Amino acid sequence: MAQWGMVIDLDKCIGCQACSIACKSENNVPYGSPDEQKRRTDIFWHKVIAVSKGEYPTANIEIIPMPCMHCDSPPCVTVCPAKATYKREDGIVMQNLRRCIGCKYCLVACPYGARSFNYKEQEEEEYQRPDLPADLGLDNKADIGPWPFPHRTHGVVEKCTFCFHRIDQGIEEGKEIGVEVVPACVEACPSGARFFGDLSDPESAVSKLLASRDSFKLREDMSTKPKVSYLPR
Amino acid sequence: MELTYTPIEGKSRRYYTAVAVLAAVALAGLISFAISYLRGHQVFGSNNAIPWGLPIVIAIYLIGLSAGSLILSSLTYVFGQESYKPIARVAVFLAVVLIFGAMVAIAVDLGRPEKSWRLFMFFYLNNMTSMFALNGILYGGYFVISLTYLGAILANQLKWVKRIGILAVCWAVLVHMGTGAIFGFIATREIFYSPMKPFEFLAAAMVSGLALLIIAVVLTLRFSKRSMGQEVVFTLGRLLSALIVLLVILVVVDKLTHFYSPNRDATVFLLTGRYSWLFWAGQVGLAYIVPLIILFHPKARKTIKWIMIAAASVVIGIFFERLALVIPGLAYPLHYYPGHIEGVWGEVGSFPVLPTEVILSIGMFAFLGVLYFLGLKFMDVLPPSIEPEPAVDEAAPAQE
Repeated sequence: MAQWGMVIDLDKCIGCQACSIACKSENNVPYGSPDEQKRRTDIFWHKVIAVSKGEYPTANIEIIPMPCMHCDSPPCVTVCPAKATYKREDGIVMQNLRRCIGCKYCLVACPYGARSFNYKEQEEEEYQRPDLPADLGLDNKADIGPWPFPHRTHGVVEKCTFCFHRIDQGIEEGKEIGVEVVPACVEACPSGARFFGDLSDPESAVSKLLASRDSFKLREDMSTKPKVSYLPR
Repeated sequence: MELTYTPIEGKSRRYYTAVAVLAAVALAGLISFAISYLRGHQVFGSNNAIPWGLPIVIAIYLIGLSAGSLILSSLTYVFGQESYKPIARVAVFLAVVLIFGAMVAIAVDLGRPEKSWRLFMFFYLNNMTSMFALNGILYGGYFVISLTYLGAILANQLKWVKRIGILAVCWAVLVHMGTGAIFGFIATREIFYSPMKPFEFLAAAMVSGLALLIIAVVLTLRFSKRSMGQEVVFTLGRLLSALIVLLVILVVVDKLTHFYSPNRDATVFLLTGRYSWLFWAGQVGLAYIVPLIILFHPKARKTIKWIMIAAASVVIGIFFERLALVIPGLAYPLHYYPGHIEGVWGEVGSFPVLPTEVILSIGMFAFLGVLYFLGLKFMDVLPPSIEPEPAVDEAAPAQE
């Protein structure tokens, strides 16, 4: 079974946030009001953080785009009491919105802040998205409901899915994942800083990239074994 | 010694007023819950930085009170300490009411409360590696066991009372240690992450349970105009001071170990940061210092009034202890990457106190008050009078 993973080249990243925008439009994630942003009640499946180091003459800012790390040993799956969060065979950590009871224990346990709780019923206008197909008719539709969200309910936890709907559809159509079919954030990156592919296949582009250069993962001390790697500047 | 128990009359005007006021407040809480259910948790202060708010604080607080209260009832029914017998029934009854309140509080905090039945599908729909799911077993079982225990006590089946009592006490210990484990096992949150947490929770449970018991017994007996023996209250006061000392030792050890790497920054934040007043004024001040001064004061510990003040201070202080765990523990920002994270992702989380959440919280307490008063009227939990028993403590004024 393929193990999907992502490689983000920080040397190429220009910090334009196109990945965050692409994620929001692909997955119909609400954009949130300034007030919600201040209170941190808005939903982010993908975020870009700016990390500063040092004082003025030697100051430095690093831009780190952060999707869900899709950990190999995910703490959110360990703590979920309702089996709502689970790891698929291909390594994608999924959230089953129909099982989720909204206890928010996974938000407490996630070391990457990758999860968001849905704090409000979404207004209709925000969800008029004629460009999205009504329902992709995927096999695991029973898990997650019609996809992409035509309608959202409040009170459940959401997270990045590595655009599982693209991957599943691509496999059904016999396309090459990682080349022809990639998650929305990878597709949108204008500087080509993101790569997506099968980590278990030594011939895939991501595996070759990781073998060719030094790479690191976020918060490796938590021993979560993330499947998103970063190439340093 | 045979002791009879009788229900209170419950026909006085004061009784009806108390029940009516509490019921009205509980109704306001119910309306707040309906609002939060329809409009989503945006009406609460919790957010993605601090995902747990007042309902969870109240839940672990009530579980503590319940477990502590039940463990103390065991002094009579399991260990045969006759001197505590007058309050043993109230203790068990309080435990049942409080654990029910805790389960209500947890359900209220769920994003989808109508799915709370999923927490009780043991092993089938539950992920048993989750401390929350294990606690589902513990809480559910505890509720059933303590109800049975109360039933056996009311039916005066003393042989069964002892058997169920042993099980209930062991289970109550597990319940509160399990609650501590919900927090203590989360490596992501440095302030939570500690093997001491289950034991700290257990000690806090006994302290707060005992203090609440003192208040409930003294107040109920006074308002229902029953005579009371002061010696029992003084003995309980001495027990309370010993338990607080134990709790202080556990908390100090926990914070001391956290002062060393890698959790040092988070602990410094807890002790000096934005929410440090919760810890210093609430937890240390109200729960430890004030009651210890009173309970070790040679004169004050010999008066019902001062013991009541100490107990009230403990009950409020332990609530702050829960707050000082949940709020700063979650507010401390996660360090995704070494360096200073700019903007909203690196900020200390803020927790606005919003009216819906506060009314809901007060309403839950009022609801428990209604249950308590109704129980006093319809169940034989109170003794007609507490006999003073001088035999228990002849060496009392000498030491400490």
